[in-house]
Amino acid sequence: MRRDGADAVRLVLWLIIAALVLVPLVAIVVLAAGDNRFGLLLEGDVLEAGINSIVSALASGLGAVLLGTAFALLLERTDLRGRRALRLIALSPLLVPPFVGAIAWIGVAGPVSPVNRAWSDAFGSPLWSIYGGDGVIFLLIVHSYPIAMLIVTAALRRIPTDLEQAARISGASATGALATVTLPLLRPAMLSSFVLVSVGNLADFGIPSIVGTPEQYVTLSTLVYRYIQSGTVDDPLSVVATVGVVLLVLAILGLVADTVLGRRRWELDASTTPPARLRLGRARPLVGTLTWLVVSALTVLPLLALVSQSLLPAPGVPLTAENVSLDNFSRVLSSPIVTEGAANSLMLAVLAGLICGIVGLAIGTVTTRTRARDNAALSAVALFPQAIPGLVIAVAWLVIAPHIGLFNTPWLILCAYVTSFLALVVQSVAAPLRSIPLVAEEAARISGATRLRALFDISWRLALPAALSGAVLVALTAVRELTLSVLLLSPGSQTLGVAIFNLQQAGAYNAASTLSLLVTVVGLVGLGLAGRSTR
Amino acid sequence: MSRTATYTAIPALALSALLLAGCTSAAPETESSAEASTLTVYTSEPQEKIDAMVELFNESHPEVTVEVFRAGTGDLTARIESERASGDVQADVLLAADSGTFEDYAAEDLLLEYSPADVDALNPDVVDPEGFYTGTRIIPTVIAYNTGLVDTPPTSWADLTDAQYADQIVMPNPDVSGAAAYNAAVWLDEPALGESWMTDLAANNPVIAESNGPVSQAVASGTQPVGIVVDYLVRELAAAGSPVEVAYPSEGVPYVSQPVGIFSATDVPDAAEAFVDFLVSSEGQTLAVEQSYLPVRNDVGSPEGAPELDDIEMLSPDLETIRSTQDEAVAKFNELFN
Repeated sequence: MRRDGADAVRLVLWLIIAALVLVPLVAIVVLAAGDNRFGLLLEGDVLEAGINSIVSALASGLGAVLLGTAFALLLERTDLRGRRALRLIALSPLLVPPFVGAIAWIGVAGPVSPVNRAWSDAFGSPLWSIYGGDGVIFLLIVHSYPIAMLIVTAALRRIPTDLEQAARISGASATGALATVTLPLLRPAMLSSFVLVSVGNLADFGIPSIVGTPEQYVTLSTLVYRYIQSGTVDDPLSVVATVGVVLLVLAILGLVADTVLGRRRWELDASTTPPARLRLGRARPLVGTLTWLVVSALTVLPLLALVSQSLLPAPGVPLTAENVSLDNFSRVLSSPIVTEGAANSLMLAVLAGLICGIVGLAIGTVTTRTRARDNAALSAVALFPQAIPGLVIAVAWLVIAPHIGLFNTPWLILCAYVTSFLALVVQSVAAPLRSIPLVAEEAARISGATRLRALFDISWRLALPAALSGAVLVALTAVRELTLSVLLLSPGSQTLGVAIFNLQQAGAYNAASTLSLLVTVVGLVGLGLAGRSTR
Repeated sequence: MSRTATYTAIPALALSALLLAGCTSAAPETESSAEASTLTVYTSEPQEKIDAMVELFNESHPEVTVEVFRAGTGDLTARIESERASGDVQADVLLAADSGTFEDYAAEDLLLEYSPADVDALNPDVVDPEGFYTGTRIIPTVIAYNTGLVDTPPTSWADLTDAQYADQIVMPNPDVSGAAAYNAAVWLDEPALGESWMTDLAANNPVIAESNGPVSQAVASGTQPVGIVVDYLVRELAAAGSPVEVAYPSEGVPYVSQPVGIFSATDVPDAAEAFVDFLVSSEGQTLAVEQSYLPVRNDVGSPEGAPELDDIEMLSPDLETIRSTQDEAVAKFNELFN
């Protein structure tokens, strides 16, 4: 076949992807292999942090799947009251950045929270402190069960109700049908969300650094942060590259596990009959009350804690009418570091959205609307960063930064954002395009358009709305990002997330809570409005 | 698709509102003949304090745009190390740490020699005789306690090793806090305290918080009712209504002077010198006192609730010894307390 413009586009895309994904990841592997510090992994600090990371990831994966499945079943298959509202509230932790959630939960279950204080006064010791390993696992569960819930709910909707009806007709009770028919069919979705959540939580930074560090509960991500920020080891980059490679290997194992499990998955034709809801009968008020209690404890309680912390001038001051003030709000909103952080975050998020939107649009269309042998490879490489912890991507960019002259500049953060979030756009573009036949492009070609022309005029226009919404999603994710920004920060490029995190680290808890509250409320109001506008 | 679009529009709007709020509070433009320049300051000052300093500095020097990078002293020195490894130090001015760090930098020819205007009015203890750095405030590390939870406050370092304070103490991490690293060296060097005292203190299982800020917060909120912490944070919390008070240990208190120095690689020596002059000027020191710091000159009074400088028993060890033993002291600390 003759080479033409479409081939040039493909080549450019490969170059972009190589620069964004392959070069950083290869650099980190090369640095780790070259210095060969793998012996370090078995040494005290790193080994302990590694075990903590793996244990907290697996435990939170399990917890998130159990909680998410329970909610999915209750809200999809029972006649509970207020299911729609409950679903909306239960999903809300998705919209709150994990580190903000951690700050909020300290107000609920920190060692001197009102609950723990009252308990100490009555029984001598606090009820339960969120600081430490158990708190980390708990918070990871709170922030990842919505993902499991979404995946399981989607799977639940695809399970044909005929099977359950057959079981019921053959004499099984409603709960019996649920346990023997529905749950086994949900197993692949549960396993897949377990893998996804566990890998995602493997290198979460915000939660362990805020509630783990005070109890010396160190995970790989907080260890890497300490090494890079405080230089407490010799040659920190080669050490963190080694840790990064380990996380990379774990992520690839997760990916492989998910693919293998996915192959054993079977598709069933969904039936059109609506599922028979499980009648809770006399248990309905009890189950309803319990569900509402749990869901609001997980979502409303931390919000209330943030509100109370934002209204108090200093720690240890009791919450009474005369102590309440709005000073914290005016202080944080006029603080240069906050306004600068917001400006930086906004700029980086918009640029990341723009770049991811354009590159993602091109990759998404080229890999679905043209025929070529390397399509699968191109899309796989573009999607790969989604499966690896942000920590690895940050370390990878840190390793190559001095060689490409980006050390200590905000553009380093932008690069890392693009690497991490490109997959969001590629996915949202490619998914709907795959199911549309190629007739329009073929018609254009028959009418004399070149391949490039057909790509521009037909495919890209077709995919533009999807790319736009993908880009918006990228900007939304990036604007509240912490892990990448905190590891790559440089003078003058601190983001909003880093500003909140630094306030918290420096002990300005009331100010950090105030900003967290603002970020949370903005996110939740957005959800409310979006939910209303689509109904 | 419209769902996602709406998700974003709102945070974006809110953020731009934040931005606008910030713009209105920016310093007013003033006429000036001096050349506009950008000064990068690395500092471990609390964010609000350094912001206030920059604001006041800009009133007399509107032509200088001050870019602040705030982090713990340990984090700043690590950053400076990595910047040196891949080029020049980005900072023009370092306002942080303890004199030992500055001595090291001076020995490596990283610092510009500069004695601030008005140097004779300053406390001679905090001025580097060679002129590479100048102390900007006196920051003693003291014992803080929660008045609601502690009936018999500790009055000496030795008291802290008493079993009644087991699991009750919180102190900062010397990997992060420059003052804490310095203190570790001073305690080890002090004959009355030394390693045996530190071992006894470690036996009381103190919580090691990230830096001084969280320590003061923990004491104020009662998480741990006793803390080893820099004094000004406690005064501030007490002024804001927190139930905290300071005890100056009878053996004496170690102090750091938050020195300021100019990196020789700076492109804007004039602006850097003006900033250093400002910090120790009576104007800058008056602000320091308002910010609860003990000043380095005696014509600006002292912060509300603070004792007179002469009434505080200070530990003034040999700086050379401290400087040469500080790294080992931090290692020793980490070994005993982890």
